[in-house]
Amino acid sequence: MSYSILIVDDSLPMRSVIKRTLKAAGYGNAELLEAADGKQAMELMKNNWIDMVITDYNMPVMNGLEFVKAIKKEDLSKDIPVVVVSTEGNDAKIKEFMDCGAVGYITKPFTPEAIRDLIVKILGEVNYEETLDGGDTDFDF
Amino acid sequence: MKKPLMAAIQTSISEVMETMFFLPIEFGRESTLAQSGMDKKNMACQLEFTGDVSGHLILVVPETLVAEMSENFMGEPLENLTPEHLAGTLTEMLNMVCGNALRKTDAKTPFELGIPKMMDGSKIPKKQVFTIVETIESRMAVLLTIGE
Repeated sequence: MSYSILIVDDSLPMRSVIKRTLKAAGYGNAELLEAADGKQAMELMKNNWIDMVITDYNMPVMNGLEFVKAIKKEDLSKDIPVVVVSTEGNDAKIKEFMDCGAVGYITKPFTPEAIRDLIVKILGEVNYEETLDGGDTDFDF
Repeated sequence: MKKPLMAAIQTSISEVMETMFFLPIEFGRESTLAQSGMDKKNMACQLEFTGDVSGHLILVVPETLVAEMSENFMGEPLENLTPEHLAGTLTEMLNMVCGNALRKTDAKTPFELGIPKMMDGSKIPKKQVFTIVETIESRMAVLLTIGE
């Protein structure tokens, strides 16, 4: 099964790192969409089917918390699982995200395994043989 | 507050450089950029934070080291990387270091980070004493300012 995953981060390199991590985790077949802030992400979500969102917190225009609140307000998007990947990791901030409906929170710097384990928990194990050219199955970056 | 915060920043620099950039580091003497031989072809960025104390952190890295870090971070050869990738790598590193360090401090009020911004070369402090961070083949410099 092929998934559509939306990666929201204002850092272009970080979006690339997360994409590479997802491919290494076996999601080489997934459609990986990117947005640089929450507002861009909301626009993308209007026209694309999304199975999961991975978002940063600290972004210009619309930050990750505002974005998660906006997603959870809409009937069409409220059930999409959201994982937060952020440098900010104080307990109050994590609780705020989880209370708003996020299903996971990973702090940067992260190991590829931390991302993989959480994604697999949410979307389920994928068959590595189904992955295309991006489907390295180890984490030797 | 500056001393424990700087200690947390040093620990975070080690963690971020090893986890995300695969570059082991050591801390050198504190000095100005000129004294450490880092007065040419640098990239720099700055990040403001607020909380129990407010201030900002400046990171200065030679262009050649930013290129190496970007290659390691993104797993792409340099010829595939744009200036936006290099600047993004630097600002993301500062973001991770600052966020990670502030998590390690015993703060009553949770810290809030700003958005890291690239600095014009002319704005890099010339007379301030930086903490020097040595990699195997290069070095970078960090300046913490608090109480603003």
